[in-house]
Amino acid sequence: MKKQKAVVAAALWLATGIAGAAETAAPVCLIAGWENPPSVCAAHTKSIAATCFICHGPNGKSSAAIPGLAGQDKAYLIAAMKEYREGKRESTVMKKYALGYDDSEYESLAEFFAAIK
Amino acid sequence: MTLHRRDFLKYAGAGLAASLLAKPAFSATGGQPHVVVVGAGFGGATCAKYLRIWDPNIQVTLIEPNDKFYSCPMSNWVLGGLRTMDDLIKSYDHLPGYGIKMVRDSAIGVDTDQRVVATQNGGKIAYDRLVLAPGVEFMTDLIEGYDAAEAAGKVTHGYKAGPQIVLLRKQLEAMPDGGVFVIASPPPPGRCVSGPYERASLVAHYFKQHKPKSKIIMLDGHFAVVSKGPMFKAAWKKFYPGMIDHRPYNLVTKVDHASMVVTSEFEDVKADVINIIPKQRAGAICGQAGVRADTAGVWCPVNGVTYESPKVPFVHVLGDSVASNMPKSAHVSNNQAKICAAALVELFNGREPDPYPVIGSTSYSATSDHTSGPIAVVMRYNPDKEAYIRQPGGGASLESDEVNFEYNKAWFEHIWADTLG
Repeated sequence: MKKQKAVVAAALWLATGIAGAAETAAPVCLIAGWENPPSVCAAHTKSIAATCFICHGPNGKSSAAIPGLAGQDKAYLIAAMKEYREGKRESTVMKKYALGYDDSEYESLAEFFAAIK
Repeated sequence: MTLHRRDFLKYAGAGLAASLLAKPAFSATGGQPHVVVVGAGFGGATCAKYLRIWDPNIQVTLIEPNDKFYSCPMSNWVLGGLRTMDDLIKSYDHLPGYGIKMVRDSAIGVDTDQRVVATQNGGKIAYDRLVLAPGVEFMTDLIEGYDAAEAAGKVTHGYKAGPQIVLLRKQLEAMPDGGVFVIASPPPPGRCVSGPYERASLVAHYFKQHKPKSKIIMLDGHFAVVSKGPMFKAAWKKFYPGMIDHRPYNLVTKVDHASMVVTSEFEDVKADVINIIPKQRAGAICGQAGVRADTAGVWCPVNGVTYESPKVPFVHVLGDSVASNMPKSAHVSNNQAKICAAALVELFNGREPDPYPVIGSTSYSATSDHTSGPIAVVMRYNPDKEAYIRQPGGGASLESDEVNFEYNKAWFEHIWADTLG
């Protein structure tokens, strides 16, 4: 990833150079290994968190048998996703979901739901 | 990994140039941006709601002819006697509270140059972005005699909830013990592929209790029980031995309601109750807007980031009408709606939308009055391939059970709340 960042930084420098602008490179964040401006990562987190609402309830607030996510401890949520992925925690569909997202997404999702009161 | 230079223009379609030049809340009319959504189902209602939650500066008009929401998910539970029609009917009353303007009307035409939607009642509604989420339209002309049989009240599709489910349930109740119920399902792609198999399971549950000598014959346009196959077959063997006769590769071509005979490419089947789910295409308004642009002119291709039609700028399509490798399900419609809403918020505010959206697709099917099973798949958009790629590890459960029946019920409650609540 370090190498990739360096490449991106070079590309940004080239781009700004060509444009003749004196802008400094915006900080980047990663989604699935791809570099992005922070606004894109915020939009991505908002979008993937909203996917969870469908089963776990709007804003992760449950009113039925599927457990809620809102207000859960961030570290607990991250650990649970990793355990689902590795098959260390029993699940019906969560292993299938855990395999579809990466560690950075576990973290941003956990942060999102932990912050909901 | 290669350096990926994202091409913002590619995702923004023709709307981009204007969006980029604009200050936040760009609108063609100079005021707040206006999104018109057609269809208040799992796609349309969700999109309207999340547009307002995520950016209250966006004006949203939602056009829907029905005064209440009729849920297709759970409709098979009504046919099997597990629930009543009242359980399927949900209120739209919460949506105006988000600032959505509800218009009880049908969209009947779109002027995509002037960006105006025409409605049945003579309305002309201007939009900056149009979101079409009309669901499917049945291609009944592919089945000889279908329209006459449906008009006579002898054949149902039961694939839009509402009166068709009421009628089909009444027909099943009136059927004598020892009768034959025929379910015909179309070849893919179509709405809710697992639906016919769940329907067979829950009607068998009803027959087992009340008419145990009855039979169900499935004339299936698919080559096999294509969704949750091992799970359904195990449940049929366990709960309803000998009752469900599944006949694959058996596309229905004709129905005669006078003699109650269903004709497939291979055989004639005499039935007491007939349920034929015809092949489908994107809803009529998609045809009028010119976005049924796949090679067959049946479904609507979309940009996977914004759900905008590559053919018609400023027109977005959600849900079952979309041409894609995604399942045509409530869950996917809801998820697409949020991706579209999030992308529109970014575009209206002059920012780049998330170029890597992720779709989660979970669908539960009940196999009896106490067992269900899920399928779950994660699909990630790959901008290089311009396609949603199924992630490894997804798939269907091999068995149905009580735990998943509880989760199935919770899924209903939560997706209804997320869409309408």
